[in-house]
Amino acid sequence: MKRRMIEAAGPSYAYLRGVLAIPAGCLFLLAALGNWQVGPLRHELVFVACVVVIGLAYGLVIRYYQDHYGRMSPSPRQQLRGAAAVALGIVVVLGGSLLLRSRAGWSLDLPVNAIAVTFAVVMLASYAIWGVLHAHHLVVWGSLFLAGALPFWTGADPSNIGLLMCGAAVIVCGVFDHIAFVRTFGPRELPAAGDGNARA
Amino acid sequence: MHGPEPELVLDRLIHEPGRLAILTVLASVRNADFLFLLRATGLTKGNLSSHLAKLEDAGLVTIEKRFIRKKPNTNVALTATGRERIDRHWQQLDQLRRRAEAVQPEAVSR
Repeated sequence: MKRRMIEAAGPSYAYLRGVLAIPAGCLFLLAALGNWQVGPLRHELVFVACVVVIGLAYGLVIRYYQDHYGRMSPSPRQQLRGAAAVALGIVVVLGGSLLLRSRAGWSLDLPVNAIAVTFAVVMLASYAIWGVLHAHHLVVWGSLFLAGALPFWTGADPSNIGLLMCGAAVIVCGVFDHIAFVRTFGPRELPAAGDGNARA
Repeated sequence: MHGPEPELVLDRLIHEPGRLAILTVLASVRNADFLFLLRATGLTKGNLSSHLAKLEDAGLVTIEKRFIRKKPNTNVALTATGRERIDRHWQQLDQLRRRAEAVQPEAVSR
């Protein structure tokens, strides 16, 4: 019996429910398109309506996982790791973006896409902190890091393109996360839905 | 002939693979429902159900039956005793493995 594999069930459930990444990624795409005021997104109400729809979709996906894979509450240690990853994310994205490329006097003002670079670093570190780092994370977030770090991001502020790239990476990573999730917990058809929770 | 060392005598209730898997999963979460345990351990419903009943009788887990969105839901959590015993069990297994690894090279050299 592989202890580590069984113990990873909790973190895997918490962080590899990849379908949740699809609405999350859409939020990034929406933010970028909203900033550009593309089509109807120039109206604030349309933007807010889109956010609400994405929120509802997120809720439905959570329900899908609960109905087919059950529920669990993370351990205090796991909650601490989650909080650490969020705190690290805020510091790295804000601090890193200002340091790499901003109007601040102390900024390095490098020709990089700071949003893409810092977000890739945060996501890789987060999956490592959560204890669910897989090879596809290295590929997806490594690619985003490289694309953002290539020195051709001169000219206008590339933050919006960075948001688009992050959104796409979140969705692609989510697809692979879900595949890893199904590999761990099995396909959704098993066991027969409906009475799976009423035993014991 | 020496008897087994008391600190290395394994707890038979916990050592059964199904129950060991259930307790190990529960040790890594705050609590989990029946369906999650079913998924995480790969046991059948009947097996999981009977193992949980044995673990509850031994005071290693608590089982709470509730309704969520009008559907029955069984929530399971490890008790303090359960956590202590599963931690101790894994320590014993690790200790036994280390001993086996230490003995192996001598056996090969003979």
